[in-house]
Amino acid sequence: MPAADVEDLLRQVAPQVLGAVVRRYGNFDLAEDAVQEALVAAATQWLDGGVPANPKGWLITVAARRLTDMLRNEQARRRREDAVATWELPRQQPDAGDQSANSDDTLILLFMCCHPALSPPSQIALTLRAVGGLTTTEVARAFLVSEATMTRRITRAKQQIKDSGIPFRLPALQERTERLAVVLHVLYLIFTEGYAATSGPSLHRVELATEAVRLTRSVHELLPENAEAAGLLALMLLTDARRAARTTPTGELVPLAEQDRALWNRDYITEGIALITAALLRGRSGPYQLQAAIAAIHDEAASTEETDWPQIKALYELLVQSSDNPMVALNHAVAVAMADGPAAGLERVQTLAKDKQLAEDHRLHSVRAHLLELSGDTAAAREAYRAAARRATNLPQQRYLISRAARLPDS
Amino acid sequence: MKYMILSYASQQDYDGMAGQPSDLPAWSPEDFAAMASFMDGFNTELAEAGELVETRALAAPVHTRRLGARNGSPFVTDGPYAETQEVLAGYWIVECESFDRASEIAGRLAGCPAPDHVAANAYADVRPIMETADEIAY
Repeated sequence: MPAADVEDLLRQVAPQVLGAVVRRYGNFDLAEDAVQEALVAAATQWLDGGVPANPKGWLITVAARRLTDMLRNEQARRRREDAVATWELPRQQPDAGDQSANSDDTLILLFMCCHPALSPPSQIALTLRAVGGLTTTEVARAFLVSEATMTRRITRAKQQIKDSGIPFRLPALQERTERLAVVLHVLYLIFTEGYAATSGPSLHRVELATEAVRLTRSVHELLPENAEAAGLLALMLLTDARRAARTTPTGELVPLAEQDRALWNRDYITEGIALITAALLRGRSGPYQLQAAIAAIHDEAASTEETDWPQIKALYELLVQSSDNPMVALNHAVAVAMADGPAAGLERVQTLAKDKQLAEDHRLHSVRAHLLELSGDTAAAREAYRAAARRATNLPQQRYLISRAARLPDS
Repeated sequence: MKYMILSYASQQDYDGMAGQPSDLPAWSPEDFAAMASFMDGFNTELAEAGELVETRALAAPVHTRRLGARNGSPFVTDGPYAETQEVLAGYWIVECESFDRASEIAGRLAGCPAPDHVAANAYADVRPIMETADEIAY
């Protein structure tokens, strides 16, 4: 079997193997290390010796043996130090008659790794390692931090999970919805991190965006009735569909209006639209569904001019109600401008600029500049592009904004 | 009448069986295969004679949680045994006519092939299982 196939297979079974070992023997922190070692052993042995008839069983056996070793060493060390480890059994009782308490291990692991006691960077790192089957080196490289830093982050996260004493099962029914929102948010963060990183100078072997899509797909498969999980998967596909058109060969960002739409991934668009269409039929729409619906309208249009802006505006109006994210408000202003003319949009931007923090954000000035340019006020647009460039945080953005300003005549 | 036959091993014995030397030498693959084959035959014979109720082996002693109580709340001690401490490793529940018959059955375990240092110290206990709560009152 080629190396890439072995790797795919390992990543796919990794959470099931970890789930089986933790379910049987507990000790999430050590079990996670043991499974990692089993995965590494498999990656080398299977390439030479072939994949065993039951790969999952092989990995579980090897990981369980390794866990026994680790426990023996840990317990011997503790006895030497005369430090007996005891912990309180959590009071939480399982929901009576809740059949789903025995649900898929991948989902349980996601809930564990996205435990609210952990910081978002820890949740992300642990999710990629324990559920995604990535090595610490791979996670570190994907986030451009040193391996030592990532090791500390993961170790600390596992210690926090251990200290929390949470049992290996789905959270109680009444908190599951809230906890699922955290899981989806972590997957969303992994995706946006990967999406931003793809414009960087070097592409890494591990594509975070692809990994996020894979994990979200498994959540959607496990919870097909959950409209927000479907919405998030749709949003990722509809956004990732534009990946090839998003940057020039030299890595410069290409705005949506100027992208070569022939480069968009039609399969992703078709799948994303089918997902979001089905999800929207389920009633009250959450923010991921609304964002996916907006992305779908963009992806369906042949050009900026042919885009259904009134509908995008209406969707942003719903989104603004459920989110206090200033970027959502800013995008809403753009949709207003495209639907009702630049003057209406500029009016919205003017209102948003009353927020002191947003008034200093380059994105507000950038939007204002675009809208002024659309309205034909080139002198004011040029000033606004320069104002945006002064506040921009990175060089490609500054170069882009200054070049926009330079294209405009003085008056 | 029901009896329980209990066998014992320390974590070091488990390590040895897994092929890992400690203060004690490790079992060879042949040692292990001979033991496994003996146990298979032993269990099959008991089952065919209608005397076997159930038999189980337990996972290594390091995989043990001990539940205690502290001010009425449960608390857990992980891996409460010392490495050399002999603890329950497996059991058979047999149903037979007498304590003597149950002892004969357990006695056949003496024929189980094992490395010398293991065979020299191996033993099994036989204990009658109470049929009703009344028995505890004598």
